[in-house]
Amino acid sequence: MRRSRAAASAIALTAVAAMVLTGCSQKSNQSTGGSGQTAVGFPETQDLPPVAGKPGGTFRLGITEPTAIDPYNAQESEGILVNKALFTGLVNVKPNGDVYDGVASKWEPNADCTAWTFTLKPNQVFSNGEPVDSAAFKRGWERTSAKASASDVAYHLDEVQGFAQMQDGSASTLSGVDATDPNVLKVGLSKADCEFELRTAAPPLAPVPTVAGAADNKTYNDMPIGNGPFKMDGPWQHDKGIKLVRNDSYSAGPKANLDAVEITITPADTGIQAEYDGFNNGQFDWARIPTPLLTQARAANESKNQWISKKTAGINYLLVSVTTKPLNTADARKAVSEAIDRNAIAQGVFQGSQVPADAFIPASFTNAYQPGVCTACKYDPEDAKKLAASAGLTPGTEVNFQFNTGGGHEEWTAAVKQQLETNLGLKVNYSGVPFKDLLVNEQQPNATGLFRAGWTADYPTPGNFLQPLLSTQAIGAATPNDVANGDNRGRYSNPQFDQLLAQAAGTQDEAKRNDLYKQAEKIAIGDDMALIPLFARQQFRLANTAKFGNVNMDFWENPTLSEITIK
Amino acid sequence: MGRFILRRVVQAVLVILAATLLIFLATFAIGDPFASSGEKAVPPDIAAANRAKFGLDKPLPLQYVIYLGNMVRGDFGIDFEQHRPVAQMLEAAIPNTVRLALVAIVIDILIGVVAGVIAAVKRYSFWDVLVTVIATLAIGIPVFVIGVVLVANVAGWGPFPSVPRSFTVQVPWYQEVLLPAFTLAIIDAAFIARLMRGSMLEVLRADYIRTARAKGLSERTVIGKHAMRNSLIPVVTYVGVSLGVLFGGAIITETIFQYNGVGYLLSTAIVKSNAPVIIAVVIFSVVAYVVLSTIVDILYAFLDPRIRLN
Repeated sequence: MRRSRAAASAIALTAVAAMVLTGCSQKSNQSTGGSGQTAVGFPETQDLPPVAGKPGGTFRLGITEPTAIDPYNAQESEGILVNKALFTGLVNVKPNGDVYDGVASKWEPNADCTAWTFTLKPNQVFSNGEPVDSAAFKRGWERTSAKASASDVAYHLDEVQGFAQMQDGSASTLSGVDATDPNVLKVGLSKADCEFELRTAAPPLAPVPTVAGAADNKTYNDMPIGNGPFKMDGPWQHDKGIKLVRNDSYSAGPKANLDAVEITITPADTGIQAEYDGFNNGQFDWARIPTPLLTQARAANESKNQWISKKTAGINYLLVSVTTKPLNTADARKAVSEAIDRNAIAQGVFQGSQVPADAFIPASFTNAYQPGVCTACKYDPEDAKKLAASAGLTPGTEVNFQFNTGGGHEEWTAAVKQQLETNLGLKVNYSGVPFKDLLVNEQQPNATGLFRAGWTADYPTPGNFLQPLLSTQAIGAATPNDVANGDNRGRYSNPQFDQLLAQAAGTQDEAKRNDLYKQAEKIAIGDDMALIPLFARQQFRLANTAKFGNVNMDFWENPTLSEITIK
Repeated sequence: MGRFILRRVVQAVLVILAATLLIFLATFAIGDPFASSGEKAVPPDIAAANRAKFGLDKPLPLQYVIYLGNMVRGDFGIDFEQHRPVAQMLEAAIPNTVRLALVAIVIDILIGVVAGVIAAVKRYSFWDVLVTVIATLAIGIPVFVIGVVLVANVAGWGPFPSVPRSFTVQVPWYQEVLLPAFTLAIIDAAFIARLMRGSMLEVLRADYIRTARAKGLSERTVIGKHAMRNSLIPVVTYVGVSLGVLFGGAIITETIFQYNGVGYLLSTAIVKSNAPVIIAVVIFSVVAYVVLSTIVDILYAFLDPRIRLN
């Protein structure tokens, strides 16, 4: 889960209350399941035809101040934007999630996927001339996983042998990583994972040169020396900006075309508005858009091909405490799900900018997406009443529903509350709390009811939705009376589901693996309704396509800086 | 006089101490800053390591004492987000805020005093009514409205730089400061105009003005030299206090104009619950305000013996 910092606080600002109310009272019989195409939502745009690259040009954009651009702690999409421009990992990821070669020319697991061998391209160098060899990767991984680094994103390495010892401080080297041959990186895993190569695209698994030093090296934190298509032009000017220039010694792939990228830091709370204003006043070439202005931005820019609309690997859902009453039965959870009119909310509150979900694994995973697998994601108040009655969810039953304030979730959660009260007669204890409190409340063993939640993928695999959010292991509590320290805070646990995921992790054939993921999703979502999918993630951008070619959105929802070219 | 100054200084130190204690306690209400990262729970070991790193594992009173000790040595600790020295962040922001405050005050005084004098001298004329109406309106308009309107309509035109703008676009500080300073100045200028008008009217009725006129001095000298000087006293007090407030950072204005001052630093820190920065900025604002108002008090005592004798 990468953090989204400037998380749509704007959503709430102007979506007028009246719209919510009218939106919610609409009777919609439209089923969102089954067709794969939904009636609401802005259509996706096609990429513009590629343009032959030529050197030159400066691409400008705004981001909020990242937590870090140094690989050891780069985490939210802003930090990843800068980091991916400065570093190239073992593999690269295309916007659609396909993997292609980075520093590694070849990678393969052993038969049971517990050991991986990465063959590195020869003569790779950092922008300071140091070699990018297997030792550079080992160095980077150890720097990320060391206890003293206290990295927020060390979990990307948690499958590597010796990770636990690094985290508790009892080891200073990652025992599972073998860098004896400078051109070959061997990685031993503590559990089978046939998709481990996907993780190596994450920033914390980037190689670092010896000058990086420890994680608290301020000089390197602010001016990382990497092996990516761009390099820093002077240190990070905190709260002002970051300037990148083309790395002409880049050889892991085609060199970048742009001379420079100028990244301006925008205000933490109004960053999206600032990006949009900056695009309109000609200062930026790429921008996100405040939700209330989406319709207007689309109208002004779509005809000029400056509007980008893509479904991305993320979902908004309701986390359900499945071990405590009243939502401890699948029927009760299905009743809640069927009582929510996703279409009305998508149109009324989100102005068509969000798409009702009909599955948990997003449509961006074209080979694993099962339209309509969430049978209870359709709006059916009559059936909901029947299910509720059979599940003992009688009118007047109290259900807790919490969301976090400050994230723009007020309006749509209010609509959900109202629908549950109208359609099921429940007494919804609805409350907004600061995010940190929401997290603590979800973690408690006696947590009950519904919680607002969202997830964006770290790696382009359906497993990154199922494993962390629904597997027994990801509950992170030793006993049911312990606090849940993992991401599966709803405490869903189904041995059959766990078994399918374990099988998938040990399956090399991608088609077979996807099939296992589909079966697992069918059980957890279709049958057990372990959580309630609401809206698929869709992202919108404005891009200066008049001046630049090949401007698309990458897997992390950032511009494809290494491909962009001046026209 | 020495005792008076001593008393004011001791009071100032107490106020600052009380303020640090309050803000220290208040930021603890934010909760554990290391329990989560985005929507992800942080493993207990890592959260504990972070708490230890920031000294949050110690009892609260001890943390406060350690903080005060460090603060006296100019060490405000490191921030939660990027682990940068907070003192450095403040150091970078303070000159910008001071510049903004000084320019705003100059604009304040120029507009306020001129308007106030005109209104008083041409009492009940069209100009007087105009000044009074505009001043009343200006006091009523919230700062953010003025700021947003200026950003939308004036920024990017003539000498005024665009907001936002790519950070590599070099703009001389006096251009960058103009619009935010004007935004800050409007309300204060309106206050000063009204203050000035009132005190000027009072002074104009005084005997010595009549004497001056009787001596045959030109109206210009009477107003400019004799009347204005005395009517400026309440304005000076107001400006002193106002400067103290402005030095503490103008959160809304600086954020709207994306101006890297103390107020912008604070608003960013609040959004990210970055307690070490919040505490340091609040302490700085309190100190700036207390120091300036203490200086004003002491100056006042010099001017007016009645104050220091009480």
